[in-house]
Amino acid sequence: MENKKKIVLLCGGKFAFKALQLLAYEKFLFGVAIGKGTEIITDALERECEENKIAFKSFPNKNSISEMKTWINNVQPDYIFSISFPFLIPEEVLLFGKDKFINFHPGPLPKYRGVMPIFEVLKNQESETAICVHFMNANFDEGNIIFNDPVLIEKGDTYGKLTIKLSNRMAQVALNMANMLQFASKIPNFPQDENEAYYYEKPQFSDTYINWKRMDSEEILSLINACNPWNNGADTTFMGEQAKIISAKHFNKPHNNSYPGTIIEITEENTITVACSDNKQIAIEILSTDEGIMTAKQFSSKINIIGSTFN
Amino acid sequence: MQKIGVLLPRSTYYETISFDIFEGLKLGLEATGEKDIKIVTENIGFGADKQQCYRSAEKLLLEENVSLVLAFIGHRTAELLRPLFLAANKILIVLDAGANLPNEWPTCPNIFYHSLHNCLGAWLTAQKASNDGYKKGAMVTGYYDGGYLHTYSISKSFEDAGGTIFFNHATGYKENDFTMEPLQNYINENSDSAFLSLFSGDFVQWYFKELKNRFSNQNLSIYLTPFGFEETMLENAVFPSNLVSGIVSWSKKIENKENKLFIETIESSSRKPNLFSLISWEAASIIVKVLELLIEQKNNIPKIASELQKFEFNGPRGKIYFDAKTNTTISDLYEARLIENNGVSEIELGKKVNNIKEEFDKLCMLSSDNVTSAWYNSYTCI
Repeated sequence: MENKKKIVLLCGGKFAFKALQLLAYEKFLFGVAIGKGTEIITDALERECEENKIAFKSFPNKNSISEMKTWINNVQPDYIFSISFPFLIPEEVLLFGKDKFINFHPGPLPKYRGVMPIFEVLKNQESETAICVHFMNANFDEGNIIFNDPVLIEKGDTYGKLTIKLSNRMAQVALNMANMLQFASKIPNFPQDENEAYYYEKPQFSDTYINWKRMDSEEILSLINACNPWNNGADTTFMGEQAKIISAKHFNKPHNNSYPGTIIEITEENTITVACSDNKQIAIEILSTDEGIMTAKQFSSKINIIGSTFN
Repeated sequence: MQKIGVLLPRSTYYETISFDIFEGLKLGLEATGEKDIKIVTENIGFGADKQQCYRSAEKLLLEENVSLVLAFIGHRTAELLRPLFLAANKILIVLDAGANLPNEWPTCPNIFYHSLHNCLGAWLTAQKASNDGYKKGAMVTGYYDGGYLHTYSISKSFEDAGGTIFFNHATGYKENDFTMEPLQNYINENSDSAFLSLFSGDFVQWYFKELKNRFSNQNLSIYLTPFGFEETMLENAVFPSNLVSGIVSWSKKIENKENKLFIETIESSSRKPNLFSLISWEAASIIVKVLELLIEQKNNIPKIASELQKFEFNGPRGKIYFDAKTNTTISDLYEARLIENNGVSEIELGKKVNNIKEEFDKLCMLSSDNVTSAWYNSYTCI
């Protein structure tokens, strides 16, 4: 029986669970730490770890990170993996060992640094994203890259769908990396090209807001998908009230230069079509207003909305 | 001079497998006019030792600095090597027996699969059994062959075509344990049943012997997959029944100029052409293309992958092209049946199967939930 490398996984919650399960199944998992975990998830994880004799630690807030150095020194893992761990690892913790800390970033690096690369790749209409495996340094997402493992983005992928896809793929990528550490005599890696690098801050209201005047139909649909479900849809305004468009699709009909944002028609499928700046229309299926989440049919049944505008 | 690496397996029942792969490749490269390529080999045993596979690939990439690597492995080992090839920015061409279905069909620009399509053959064989009028089936395999997901492919395809698997038999892998006895009672009560059979290598010969000994007067309907029809094994396999048919991925009897050249070239080097020399012979065309693209696209792997996905060529099996979704080659498959030649078995080639790509797409769409294979080694490498 080979001596498996002892790996501690730092995570932020559900997104890392498939990876946790696979690493545990393959006997690589030696410790688990969760940052900012909800009570239910933290308790469940602690129980599972206890049952499987795996070290466990919760870091509920930024201040608690001061306990990490002692915890890692006690556990003495060979490597520390990080999957969506919400806190920056302090330099004094990183001193535990050079090239011992490996981050699994759910977006291609160096192009998509930041906390929500899944949102950004969808908003930017990329056809492919990646899980980037890189050594960690004292800055977010900046250490040397080991590899970018590509993941295809399919038409219509929402933030939720892509997150699940990446979480599933993350498990295999984490296992591949563990195997690499187990068998390799050298881990190839290279510095990030700073000319290609971009750090995306956490999306603000202005990033999730549909600019009907400037955005074409493709951009609007991509934004809607990128906001579903974490932001409950892409933000817009209807008759002075805030609203969110949760689900929409292409509607293959020009609108003969109506003002962008204008509601053109209610289709046989009970969707609401809206004019976009590129003389194309999108068909809204589900949206949310102050009254709650509703189908386009429910939305349109209240008043005559044809000719009204989203802005 | 360009340098390419090859991970060569070993096999107990295909003793010459590594020589066949090497010779097929070497002669295939020569046939394309490429003589200025150095081939560096590393042994990976049966392909089951992860450390050996990884270290061998690592050595080829990091010490030998080869331009690309060719390896007779399955999807699981390819997945193990995936981060290494991504990190090293190199291309891996997998010579795949096609006996397993992957848990997912990942498209990684660094890995391309050149397949013998045993699963797809199994899928089509079951359809053939159904088209021949069989509604009842027994899946017959062995401890070894039964560990690959061509079992899922053949049974699911039969069920999808309206058939039912009434009996599953997996026999032992040692000659003394190898028996078809459990099928005797079954066939007495279900004479209208087809035997959907999955065997390779020596097991084919043992299977035919058992069929001949136990069921010689019953004219059973036996359906085989491409590795069951491997011709060097058939040369020493007794003729078991008049109703043995199925799907082959290659045969010496395919008539085209590429197959003629392949057979003549391999035979002139005093070797017998087989599936292993075939797959590496064909891979030579892919290698030459990749080497060209490496220069043309300045080692930009995504661009090379995108160009390679459009590449097609004619080989001994007919036209070969890539399925861009899975980076896997698609090639013609043929219907076949066994005929007797002095007491042993020989292939009689039938027509080409239609809609190969569509059937491959269906196979790729199969849900792999709760379906898994524990075998890590390259198929036929035990």
